[in-house]
Amino acid sequence: MASAYLTHQQKVLRLYKKSLRHLESWCIFRDKYRFYACLLRARFDENKTEKDMVKATMMLKAGEEEFWTNQHPQPYIFPDSPGGTSYERYECYKVPEWVLDHWHPSEKAMYPDYFSKREQWKKLRNQSWEKEVAQLEAETPAVGPKSEALPPARKEGDLPPLWWQFVTRPRERPT
Amino acid sequence: MAARVLQQCVRSFAQPSLRLCSSNLALRVTAVQAVAVHRPLSFAADSRRTRWLVQSRIPSVGVLCRQYGDLPPLTLETIKERVMYVLKLYDKINPEKLQTSSHFMKDLGLDSLDQVEIIMAMEDEFGFEIPDAEAEKLMTPEEIVQYIADKKDVYE
Repeated sequence: MASAYLTHQQKVLRLYKKSLRHLESWCIFRDKYRFYACLLRARFDENKTEKDMVKATMMLKAGEEEFWTNQHPQPYIFPDSPGGTSYERYECYKVPEWVLDHWHPSEKAMYPDYFSKREQWKKLRNQSWEKEVAQLEAETPAVGPKSEALPPARKEGDLPPLWWQFVTRPRERPT
Repeated sequence: MAARVLQQCVRSFAQPSLRLCSSNLALRVTAVQAVAVHRPLSFAADSRRTRWLVQSRIPSVGVLCRQYGDLPPLTLETIKERVMYVLKLYDKINPEKLQTSSHFMKDLGLDSLDQVEIIMAMEDEFGFEIPDAEAEKLMTPEEIVQYIADKKDVYE
């Protein structure tokens, strides 16, 4: 997403998704949920070809208010999503990659292939760091970055900015 | 009667304990039997339930490792199969025309609301949430497979 603001379509889709999720929390039996989900989808469908943005925004506002009054007090939240039971549970086991440099040589000898390649990767990082910083400084406006999204690599043979952080990120479920 | 029930309990408790740690086999079984003898009342209540437990034979020395409960590990092929299976079940998609690279909006003629429903079906299938910012960018089954493999650490 380029800017920090949501388009009307994105807002409508988000309302649709969360209303379906809360509907699923209310109608626990699958066939009943399917029935009411189809009705909800029909309600969204009959208004989706609205061209007048003022009217569309008023309908979206009315929809959000209806969602607020009809929401479930304890909706089903997936374990890994914020508010779920397993959210950030394994955060403490996600070790940053620079810890690998502090291993004892006898431990490093257990994985010779990886550590030999690691030196090359680090050299690559050192070479591309200046260009990444230059690209980021050129592309962010003076006030500050508008969103969290990083720009892709613009030139051929160049690596995207802050690629090292992305490539060496810890696993989602470290054992 | 109570003695017979107790014997059944001990046998049924001895069987699953075999799975836990075969190295401490003898110790564990005797410990369970001793525990079972000391607390007859609580076990009598569980006897009926434990009799229904499937007691499968395991190799006596074979697996010297702990067996925790977990789903089978995901591979790229299984993710792709599951994604395609879920998509074929969706009634607005023609199963013959479905490929991994078929775009939802351009090739299959679906709506953005349909795409939201598809993403929700994927969330239900794999059991984790796909945030809205990233869900609106997933437009082909191939992208969905890659995203799920990315999130689930499957041969990145």
